[in-house]
Amino acid sequence: MSAAELLRWVLASLPEILVITGACALLILGQFVRRGQEHVLVWASVAVVLVAALATVLLAAEVRPAYTGMFVADRFAVFFKMVFYLATVLTFLLSRKYADIEGIAISEYYVLLLFALTGMMIMASAVDLLSIYVGLELMALSTYVLTGFLRRERRSNEAALKYVILGAVSTAIFLYGVSLVYGLTGTTALAGVAAAVTGKPLDPALLLAVVFIVAGLVFKIGAVPFHMWVPDVYEGAPTTITAFMSVGPKAAGFAIILRVFLNPLIAGSDAWVIVAAIAVVTMALGSFVALVQDNFKRLLAYSSIAHAGFAVFGVVAGGADGIASVMLYLLIYAFMNLGIFSIVIMMRSGDFLGETIEDYAGLSKWHPGLALLMLLYLFSLAGIPPTAGFFAKFYVLVALVERGFVALAVIAVLLSAVAAYFYIRVVMVIYMREPTRTFEPALTPAVRTTLAVTAAGTIGIGLFPAWFLRLAQTSVFGG
Amino acid sequence: MELPLLSLIVLTPAAGAAILALLPSDDAVRRVALGVTLIDLALSIVMLANFDTTTHAMQFTEIRPWVPSLGINYALGVDGISALFVFLTALLGSVSVLASWVAIDRKVKEFMINLLAMQALMLGVFSALDLFLFYVLWEAMLIPMYLIIGIWGGEGRVYAAFKFFLYTLAGSLLFLIGVIVLYFEGGETFDILALTARDLPFGVQSWLFFAFLIAFAVKVPMVPVHTWLPDAHVQAPTAGSIILAGVLLKMGAYGFLRFSLPMLPEASVYYSTLMLALSALAIVYGGLLALAQDDLKKLVAYSSISHMGFVTLGIFSLNLHGLEGSILQMFNHGVTTGALFLFVGLIYERTHTRSIAAYGGLMKAAPIYTAFLALFTLSSMALPGTNSFIGELLVLSGGFAANPAFGAAAVLGAVLSAAYLLGMYGKVALGQASVGDRYAIHDVNAREMVAILPLAVFVLWVGLYPKPFLEIIDVSVKHLLVQVHGTGGGP
Repeated sequence: MSAAELLRWVLASLPEILVITGACALLILGQFVRRGQEHVLVWASVAVVLVAALATVLLAAEVRPAYTGMFVADRFAVFFKMVFYLATVLTFLLSRKYADIEGIAISEYYVLLLFALTGMMIMASAVDLLSIYVGLELMALSTYVLTGFLRRERRSNEAALKYVILGAVSTAIFLYGVSLVYGLTGTTALAGVAAAVTGKPLDPALLLAVVFIVAGLVFKIGAVPFHMWVPDVYEGAPTTITAFMSVGPKAAGFAIILRVFLNPLIAGSDAWVIVAAIAVVTMALGSFVALVQDNFKRLLAYSSIAHAGFAVFGVVAGGADGIASVMLYLLIYAFMNLGIFSIVIMMRSGDFLGETIEDYAGLSKWHPGLALLMLLYLFSLAGIPPTAGFFAKFYVLVALVERGFVALAVIAVLLSAVAAYFYIRVVMVIYMREPTRTFEPALTPAVRTTLAVTAAGTIGIGLFPAWFLRLAQTSVFGG
Repeated sequence: MELPLLSLIVLTPAAGAAILALLPSDDAVRRVALGVTLIDLALSIVMLANFDTTTHAMQFTEIRPWVPSLGINYALGVDGISALFVFLTALLGSVSVLASWVAIDRKVKEFMINLLAMQALMLGVFSALDLFLFYVLWEAMLIPMYLIIGIWGGEGRVYAAFKFFLYTLAGSLLFLIGVIVLYFEGGETFDILALTARDLPFGVQSWLFFAFLIAFAVKVPMVPVHTWLPDAHVQAPTAGSIILAGVLLKMGAYGFLRFSLPMLPEASVYYSTLMLALSALAIVYGGLLALAQDDLKKLVAYSSISHMGFVTLGIFSLNLHGLEGSILQMFNHGVTTGALFLFVGLIYERTHTRSIAAYGGLMKAAPIYTAFLALFTLSSMALPGTNSFIGELLVLSGGFAANPAFGAAAVLGAVLSAAYLLGMYGKVALGQASVGDRYAIHDVNAREMVAILPLAVFVLWVGLYPKPFLEIIDVSVKHLLVQVHGTGGGP
């Protein structure tokens, strides 16, 4: 290994290095921050992410493979990293006030978020089953801890414990699949695995390995049948972390799924049938179970399951449009879901939890502006034009029909009609009920910024999707 | 560079809605909303005045790329089929604002914003020449309409709003799949004119026909997917009802004319008997239900189902009289039923009851009101000299030519409409005064008169001298018939 090569590798992974260095520096800095000065931590964390984002953009011009085929910095990775940066920065902004209210404003909170970000970034760039595993675990371990960050709350502890146990099992299953692949093909590099199986009829043992890997990954995106942790963890975790998890780690899971699934290994086989079944069942379960939820965080948990199902339809479609549709979906979902979570987070003030749907009754009377934003996010989640949520779904459907999966497209839209019901039910509560109490939302400048960014994304991408669509289409790997 | 007239018409209400958001007082909101709709009406009159009746080609066209990588454009244009609807929408926009002047007394600003947003979207739907743009506008209408019914409606508003939303959504989602399939079958374009020129295989046409049918049938509404309409109408505020009956219902029929017939001609011919049967069913069934109503709004709502049956009957007669009649009848229905809902709203504001049984002898208390009510009631039952007579006559002529049995059913519907409408009028206007004893009913005031008069003018104008209206429609309908049959079609 020459010095020049090492330099190239470092350059390829510079954003990751920046974030992890920044996180370590923050850990030390945290010891010197006095009580009441916690906002320094927020701004320092945001600065770290922004510097990494800048580095990512500057290095995006060419594809940079690194670390002997374990890692690649291509446009696909860049796109996902941008989604992660967006999710992380907005989570930091949301956390400022919320962390004070919950008493969790300590440096470890921000450091762990940065570690999770690093994990996700590695996942987006990983092209080897082992580097995937490293990224996956770094992200997962950080989020386990963050889930249990409300130490005095039983709900939070329970959620963290469930998440750790189920997460560990899923990781173990994933690793077992990886070991089988290695045993059968002699390599863990995705390209190598693909080359080893191309042309041969699929070995039953290899199929088993694929099923294990799929199971491990499906857990991360919260798709059926590995979705059971989602509602409990989403409900128990600090709401800022729920917001983060519903967007960041989920997108990271999809990044890997796209890399692994759209490899010849799967693309050539009939595995799409399994994936299609997962998509249908996931969306159906998410949509129908959400109908009967009274807790808003749980409702959003099932909503996120349903949305994961819809995005999996894009994976089923495959091809350039299929991949691009999943990527665009995740970007748009990041905007609208973080938007709606900002409002949930804001509702938490004083002793008021603001977690049940009834808590939102008559919001429009006291805070017409907030109610309007909520309306925007809810209709976007339901997929009603002219919001971005519609365009996200539309493009997935285009990809499906392009591949001839018209029946799947019909199922997808019928299920999204079911999902629309629970979103507009919340709209109804906000606009058509009389308020039972006054609201004192914790509206800080940071939260306002988050709302502005997410609202701009939700309506802006809906009205002017062309640029974002091009971005997704040119970021498909290989491109 | 030519003035983008259609964009101005579509965007004026949208810009107006944005301005309303900044206004402080309810009074200013009302005045500005009225001003915006009047400007829009004036623009649409300019459009009609410059409309060339000698060509079937799209006029006032505009095109700008919107999402180039999927071939989506912002494309607008009108022909003889859509021009009247653009005008009708603009006209009813002003009427709706006037109808809400005092009826809406809380959250006035939000209401007017929704109303104007609704108007922009409806105008966009009628002038869109890009299928994606059409769908986006079509579906986006759900949001303001849901809020108008759900926030400012009557006691059962929440249920009605839900029902309206879910019915329409479920219908249009299949339409969305149809649109995407059409996109790929038609050579990856959303251009409506280009898609019209494609010759699709019959199997594809069949599937698409039913995918489109579900969406359009819910909007029209056709029996058996009509059940959202009475709920929505009864609960909606007056302006909501006027928009629903006047414009929204026309969109389904417009969809048949713009998409089903020209793009799927063979399927349209093949399934025309089925469609005629459904139309005849709607005419008779709607009429019978209207006969049994005690609630004024429900009566008008069910009569709408019956009258829209005439419209679809005319469309699927697939001949010149049927099609021209149905388009004219849609315009007439918009004017007349819009007016009837306005009248129900006016009396409800005074007495707070919609029960026919509660009324009687209104003629003494409110002579002007009852006189105009008589005009619109007679128009609704298609008395000669009123607008609907011309429309229904053409539709019946076309219907009989297409299928005498269903034509006869339509005649039965016409008789039924005379029965329920005259019955309603007799009970409300004639006989002993009953409500008048308990409530102080004052006659229509100047503001209400301003809303009523233009509608009354069109009732008589179309009834006595329909030529200018038919001229607008004529060339485009003949061209449509060529697209469907490959020839000029029958009489």
